Amino acid sequence: MSGYLEELKLPDFHLWKRTEEKRIPLSAEIELTERCNNNCIHCYINLPANDEETKKRELSFEEIRSMVDQAVEMGCLWWLITGGEPLVREDFTDIYLYLKKKGLLVSVFTNATLITRKLASLFERYPPRDLEITVYGVTQKTYERVTRTPGSFEACRRGMNLLQEGDVPFTLKAMALRSNVSELEAMKDFCKPISKGHFRFDPFLHLRLRPNDKINRQIKNERLSPEEIVAIELADDERKNGLLKHICEEKKIGRETVHFHNDNHLFYCGAGKTSFTIDPYGFFKLCSSLSHPDCVYDLRKSSLKEAWEKFVPKIRRMRTEDEECRKKCLGCPLINLCMWCPATAYLECGKLDRHIDDFCQIAHARAQALGLEKKVCKKIV
Amino acid sequence: MDKLERIYAKSRDLVEREIEGEIIIVPLTSGIGDLEDKLFSLNKVGKDVWARIDGKKRLFEIVEELKEIYEVDREKLMTDILGFLAELEKRKLVVEEVGCQVT
Repeated sequence: MSGYLEELKLPDFHLWKRTEEKRIPLSAEIELTERCNNNCIHCYINLPANDEETKKRELSFEEIRSMVDQAVEMGCLWWLITGGEPLVREDFTDIYLYLKKKGLLVSVFTNATLITRKLASLFERYPPRDLEITVYGVTQKTYERVTRTPGSFEACRRGMNLLQEGDVPFTLKAMALRSNVSELEAMKDFCKPISKGHFRFDPFLHLRLRPNDKINRQIKNERLSPEEIVAIELADDERKNGLLKHICEEKKIGRETVHFHNDNHLFYCGAGKTSFTIDPYGFFKLCSSLSHPDCVYDLRKSSLKEAWEKFVPKIRRMRTEDEECRKKCLGCPLINLCMWCPATAYLECGKLDRHIDDFCQIAHARAQALGLEKKVCKKIV
Repeated sequence: MDKLERIYAKSRDLVEREIEGEIIIVPLTSGIGDLEDKLFSLNKVGKDVWARIDGKKRLFEIVEELKEIYEVDREKLMTDILGFLAELEKRKLVVEEVGCQVT
């Protein structure tokens, strides 16, 4: 290869560091809709696919185009399309092609049940950077116990077959919950060959972005106990090694993520540093989970540039005076093993800066199981 | 025909982005510059050549223009640019404009 052209592995690309230093919004996510054709028992966002009132409130294609143009102008390169189920949008193809033609590296998260031959051909001709499909079970009974939608298992398999017929690569991932945990190993066996030997699962079930006591109770019932979570994580080498690598890397960069007791900044994470989310109604968020009304910005009334340059720094400067949060959460050496962050704390209890006991238990159970608890605490505290 | 008489155009199946001075070539359709977990990066001379691939300029014109800028040995520059174009063509990032050669 001549020295003029270099092939670089994505993590090695020199641009990433520069974009972080200069705070360029390199990565964006759009929740195209909260609507979904499934009705998953654990879902934090879904509304019925035929909810006409919701549909009317969603961003139009023209509005999305304008936001995409602004983002590209500001240096955005990655764009994730998610939902709800993004394929319920009748104009999905237009939106997808627009993103592709703007030179964005587009990822799509879908349940695959609405993949048609036409959509498979679209992805074959204009491949997404990533196409991720969530699997809820390997048997119809389990799958549909989660989705609560008759025919969804068959529809998902049909969608995957259409993608495979069109040579469209995709990866599979799973949520681990009470209703399907008995099939987790079987899901792993099913997913790995399709996903190049990898299997990702997520046992952390978020509560509803728009609080709903009844559904939140249902989601909590689906959550696995800390012991169960640790057991399935330890049984999975990829996950276990990932956790160890994660905490070791975070320890190396130290202050960035592991806070000290006198630091009361709420946002220790990367939210809003080089990425952002747009919700289906045009609200800008620092990350998909951060739905506190003070932390969202209406892009229908102002520009992305304003959101990025004025609003984000204001949010990232937020501090807490809550002593328990400072000591037990922000000052905790296990924070990188914990599901706690201001966004998830808000979903759990309506406050950004509250300690969440359930999360704490999981973090400590994880640390103990990985043999990290004493080592990490001793070294950092 | 002399390779330097050739005219190349950028493929219509890619989108060129410039972020922070970095040229990023994003394939639009399948089969173009397929690199699952990689990206292309161009060095300074690569960027200068890439900027001149416009479906009009013959390669020798590009060589002459860059020779003026970089003050390097013409033969060396010519060899490098031909090698670079061959790589781009192999990855379908450029296409030769057939029928545009000047006799």
